[in-house]
Amino acid sequence: MHKWGMVIDLDRCSGCQTCMAACHAENNIAIIGPEESAMGRTIHWIELLPYIEGEYPHIKARLLPRPCMHCEHPACIKVCPVGATYVNEEGLVGIVYSRCIGCRYCTTACPYTVRSFNWYEPRWPKEMKGSLNRDVSIRGKGVVEKCSFCHHRLLKARERAKAEKRELLSEDYIPACVQACPSNAMYFGDLNDPFSTVSILSRERRAFKLLEDLGTEPKVIYLSEGM
Amino acid sequence: MGGGAGAAIALGGGFWKWSQFPPAEKSNVPGVERWIPTVCGQCTGGCGILVRVIDGWAVNIAGNPLHPVNRGTLCPKGIAGLQGLYDPDRIRSPLKRIGKRGEGRYQPITWEEALHLVSESLKDLRQKGEAHHLVVLGGRYRGLMRSLWDRFLNSFGSPNYIDNQFRWEEPPVEGLFLTQGIHDLPAYDIENAQYILSFGSGILESPWSPVQMLRGYGHFRRGRPGIRGRLVQIESRLSFTGIKADEWVPVQPGTEGILALGIAHMIIKEGLYHKEFISGQTFGFESWTGPDGREHLGFKEFVLSEYEPTVVSKRTGVPIDLLIRLAREFSSNQPSLAIGYRDRPFHQMAVAALNGLMGNIDVSGGVLIPRSIPYQSLPPLKEDAIAQRGNSQKRIDEGKGISVNHPYLFARNTLSGKPYKPKVLFLYYTNPLFSNPDPGLFSKALQEIPLVVSFSPYMDDSAQFSDLILPDHTPLERWQDDPVFLNNGFPVLGIRQPVIPPLYRTKATGDFLLALARSLGGQIQKAFPWNDFKEVMMVSLKGVFEAKRGDTFGLQFDEAWTRLLQRGGWSVPSYKNFEEFSKLLLEKGGWWDPVYDFGERDRVFRTPSRKFEFYSQGWKKARSSSSGEGKDSSFLPHWEESKESGNEKEYPFHLHVFRTMSLTGGRNANQPWLQAMAGQHLFEKWKTWVEINPVTAKRMSISDGDWVWVESPRGKVRVKARLYKGAMPDVVNIPFGQGHASGGRWSKGLGQNPYRLIGDDLDPITGYPTHGTTRVKVYKA
Repeated sequence: MHKWGMVIDLDRCSGCQTCMAACHAENNIAIIGPEESAMGRTIHWIELLPYIEGEYPHIKARLLPRPCMHCEHPACIKVCPVGATYVNEEGLVGIVYSRCIGCRYCTTACPYTVRSFNWYEPRWPKEMKGSLNRDVSIRGKGVVEKCSFCHHRLLKARERAKAEKRELLSEDYIPACVQACPSNAMYFGDLNDPFSTVSILSRERRAFKLLEDLGTEPKVIYLSEGM
Repeated sequence: MGGGAGAAIALGGGFWKWSQFPPAEKSNVPGVERWIPTVCGQCTGGCGILVRVIDGWAVNIAGNPLHPVNRGTLCPKGIAGLQGLYDPDRIRSPLKRIGKRGEGRYQPITWEEALHLVSESLKDLRQKGEAHHLVVLGGRYRGLMRSLWDRFLNSFGSPNYIDNQFRWEEPPVEGLFLTQGIHDLPAYDIENAQYILSFGSGILESPWSPVQMLRGYGHFRRGRPGIRGRLVQIESRLSFTGIKADEWVPVQPGTEGILALGIAHMIIKEGLYHKEFISGQTFGFESWTGPDGREHLGFKEFVLSEYEPTVVSKRTGVPIDLLIRLAREFSSNQPSLAIGYRDRPFHQMAVAALNGLMGNIDVSGGVLIPRSIPYQSLPPLKEDAIAQRGNSQKRIDEGKGISVNHPYLFARNTLSGKPYKPKVLFLYYTNPLFSNPDPGLFSKALQEIPLVVSFSPYMDDSAQFSDLILPDHTPLERWQDDPVFLNNGFPVLGIRQPVIPPLYRTKATGDFLLALARSLGGQIQKAFPWNDFKEVMMVSLKGVFEAKRGDTFGLQFDEAWTRLLQRGGWSVPSYKNFEEFSKLLLEKGGWWDPVYDFGERDRVFRTPSRKFEFYSQGWKKARSSSSGEGKDSSFLPHWEESKESGNEKEYPFHLHVFRTMSLTGGRNANQPWLQAMAGQHLFEKWKTWVEINPVTAKRMSISDGDWVWVESPRGKVRVKARLYKGAMPDVVNIPFGQGHASGGRWSKGLGQNPYRLIGDDLDPITGYPTHGTTRVKVYKA
């Protein structure tokens, strides 16, 4: 059984936000206009977070791409009153949109604030409608959504492996953000395989996880900047 | 759009005036997918992309893994290419102005009418002997379209192709000309460098080829076992490059050049420079005697006497010990690279001189000069009598000096009528009413021209001022060649091909130009015997096929193999004849030559001395023809204090205009994915903000999020104040890219254009406004 995980090397990351754009395109994330954005209602499944310390001129700033951590012990699942969110045996945390009642307990419970609420019916101009990704469903108003590690790509890869009568390899499946990353700062693979790139990197000296002390056991591992 | 002749169409419109999703009709259903290789057109990076097409819809864009520029990766703009193609506010047919200039009232016309209108007015020009009154203002694009424009103007009889590629962040092209005699972009081999000293260069947010630079950056940091490149960013704002750098050195705006000279001073004083390179391959380092027996000052003496650390430290605000440390770090971590921006030419030269001092020219990890693509040149053309007369006229911008193109002088001369007023203006891939400082000057100039024709596929600020809009296809709908090069100097030729048929009644400008030439008849028609632009491209590509070098794109293994064979004097490409070659080109996405020939001095140094020049003889030659001999120091890298606009008392802050990765040049402002992440370091989106240092803001009682006016002697803009610790206490920063007076629903009327605040002081050599000279005041709105 695979255990999917991601490694983000902050020393390679340039803060270009390609991951954010790639995610929007891949997952049909709704366009939130200027007025709505001003109310903090934008949706990003992966977001570049700034962290600026110190005072001028002694400043240390960091930029951190943050997808869903796909925790081993996710806080979001425990608070969901309707069982709409779950963690599967491969370690992916998913949402059943049709079950979600929009109570937003999970958006509050998630310590990484990765979850977004759909305040509006998603709308696209008619000229753009046909260019949406046909592999991903559109979320309606009133449900919560978040990064799925491009789960639809896993389903597709599995179908293809089956058609080709072979086992699924971890190279068959890669999320859109990892694929697009220009500085090759993102890695994706099977954490259960001790020889996979992500496993090897996750044991590196520079490796750390976000808010590790909460016991959520994220499956997104960062490599710190510098030597 | 359906005909609708006679009825004016209103472009833009309310924000959410569109239909609901999902629609009732069939649209989002599964279909058979195809991935078509082409070249991204969102910026000038030249990345290869694969577009996923299902049922005639382009539904996804991924990087082309075979394309050596990006190897399967992308940047945010590249991904948003779909929103450029399916932009709901695109121009859908040729338009003729019916309202007043700038009012935005247009009437759709047919392409036949459009061709007739343009061709009649051009015929008229030639009849009156005013062929040179036709001006083409061209922007940033590459390849054969430029040859086609030149050819058209030549056969028509106008010397006026004016290159308007204004960008301060651009690679320092004038610096390269002064030191190496080359009018082109240099390649910086950052993958193999150990140490990068960036003088205000937006390496990570606005390089000319973003993906390539970011791939290089990843490699520079972590791609080499045991080696981690070190990056120091010298800039007057903590940019993304500054954040990712190991060290940020804040300096007063526009003083990067003098800091470079201060560092050069320390390197020379401590004897840390590359002595072998200096003695063998440079000119003008030591004092020298000319053929006429005159003594000339050398770079060494000049820098040692003029740019003492105390002087430099005082002007830049950089402490002396830091300056000394930078000089030592730069010279001891080899190979090192100094990268500047398109500052004033001699400041660029000062930065280039640092690379010269360390001998990092034409070596791995240094400045490389790529070979050009071996196109087959188009057949010679015959000029008729009218064309000869027109071509011999003075250029309207009286172009001379390093760059013959002076868009600002063009605008000023248009207003003054000296030497003459243009009668017809073509705008191709340029939007001077938005993307040049002092856009008001250009809008006034455009008012003076009887016929302005824009080829923009979008209703941009300049198109809105045109009489005729003849919309080009967007990049995903047209044929184009894209010659580009890699950081390591390999020449690459990407092929752009249509991934879907044109969505609207648009026409590739290349095709229009050929049709126009046909309609003008005579020698002009004879100069353009081709049916369409694709044919022109195929003719030129014969040269690439016959060059017997390189290969169509392949995997990295193929690259190594090609190189090995080529070094041994073999060329075994994967094609045998031209048909196979052109078929493979389209399948793989292009051609490249994965070899860099080191040590070809004639290619690398095209200066009069055939050496790296600390004393620019090329500039001396160009200059002395017009204004006689000058002082020695005016040919050496030197610091020129710029005239500031606004006095310090009334305008206490320097204005620093910067660019972001997503909106870089403002060309992509109508793409909501990019708008939604414009200023991620402050979570700003969809608007323009001004960054103020928190301590300064407190002193002025400005809180985070207040609306403020930023006012310069030229004008003022209302923007949102954001407190940013990365802002220097006496510098305020405004991003470029917003504030379109025209355009689509996602860009029109959002934010402000900071270029309206600047543009007073033109550099005499480049004719462009100088950077960092504008002062502003800030007060609550």
